[in-house]
Amino acid sequence: MDKNKVHPDQIYIDGLAQNDSAIIQSIYKKFVPKVVMFIMNNSGDRDQAQDVVQEILILLFNQAKVNSLRLTCPFDAYFFLLCKRKWLNELKKTSNKGVTIIEDAVSMNESAHELIGQTEEFDEKQQLFDTMFQKLGDKCQELLKLSFEIKSMEEVAEKLNVTYGYVRKKKSLCVGQLTQWIQEAKNFKSLKNN
Amino acid sequence: MNEERYILFDQYLQDELTPDAKNDFEKQLLQDSEFASEFETFKNVQFQLANKFEFEQEREAFKENLTNISNQHFNKKTKVIGLKPWYLAVAASVAVLFGLFFFNYNQNPVYADYNDPEQANFAERGTVNEALKQAEEAYNAKRYNKAIPFFETVLQKQKTAEIQFFYGVSLLEESHYLKAEAVFNELKTGTSVYKEKAIWYLALSKLKQKDYDGCKQILQTISEDYEDYDQVQELLNQLD
Repeated sequence: MDKNKVHPDQIYIDGLAQNDSAIIQSIYKKFVPKVVMFIMNNSGDRDQAQDVVQEILILLFNQAKVNSLRLTCPFDAYFFLLCKRKWLNELKKTSNKGVTIIEDAVSMNESAHELIGQTEEFDEKQQLFDTMFQKLGDKCQELLKLSFEIKSMEEVAEKLNVTYGYVRKKKSLCVGQLTQWIQEAKNFKSLKNN
Repeated sequence: MNEERYILFDQYLQDELTPDAKNDFEKQLLQDSEFASEFETFKNVQFQLANKFEFEQEREAFKENLTNISNQHFNKKTKVIGLKPWYLAVAASVAVLFGLFFFNYNQNPVYADYNDPEQANFAERGTVNEALKQAEEAYNAKRYNKAIPFFETVLQKQKTAEIQFFYGVSLLEESHYLKAEAVFNELKTGTSVYKEKAIWYLALSKLKQKDYDGCKQILQTISEDYEDYDQVQELLNQLD
């Protein structure tokens, strides 16, 4: 039918979002050994494989949580390729010695390709956001944390012992600062790509 | 930093602008692409902040759970095997149930009870290899004698553990014991994910040949880490 149909393997994505131990264990049992093999055959060790897998699963959790992950291809291929690409990127970053990459016959179908693109874009955005958030001053970080946890700005003002007008303005400026940095990074990136 | 602009963004999102100001704002969104793009980013930042703090506790819980499961998975081999008590209890009851089930019907277990071949799935990954596709189709349709020559063609060019494994299963299904066991023995000495599975199939090969002692001896060499160890346990109990 349509290629956007959700694949039955969506259970793995939903299971991650729900922190379902049985699902997580079955991912380790069924899909992780292949990733470990690949990384160990490509200049890595078990510890590095463990880290790559963990990072990808946290990424999938984050993406699943905001409901922006609808699996349209088998989990196996999707997960393996995400891990593989992550590892190859890591290799590129850390080593300038020759990297032997054994290209397998495994190519991906279109929907896997698209989905991987989306996930990697999500990851990129998230990382950019996290980096910028860390750059903010402590006051901004705290104010933003409170205003998104408590939601009512009146209460936030009370808690910080300042006026409502002040927190509203401050919040706009803190979000604004993040906006500016992220916007600059984006512009820089599009300059670089053109 | 354009402070006024960000304050304006926030006011617009909170719906605090006068109708006129709101109109102007929306006009500018349409006309000024830089303004519109920055507003998009502003909204996106709000969304990411909400996401960050809303799920913070859940995210921490997930990370902790993940780390535990991951450590269990990766340290398994170095750890002295300690099965969880409930796991043992479940395995034991399953074994007993199976024992009772077969007690009256069958003196000896048979190959067909344990042979539960999985579907081959090479083509899903967009392979263009015609022989491999035909091997897969024949295999999944359980026409093993047709699948065997296709596998042989493929293996001449492309030898992966996965393809070898399914070739081995096909050989065993067609009772080519010597050839099948040669394939499984090769996998057994390798390091692929099919290593333990290959040993299990070596045991099944003996079972199919009604060599119960041979089967048992091989079963005893399978590591308890093998993913389908409960089947191994069942069969061992059956053979006793």
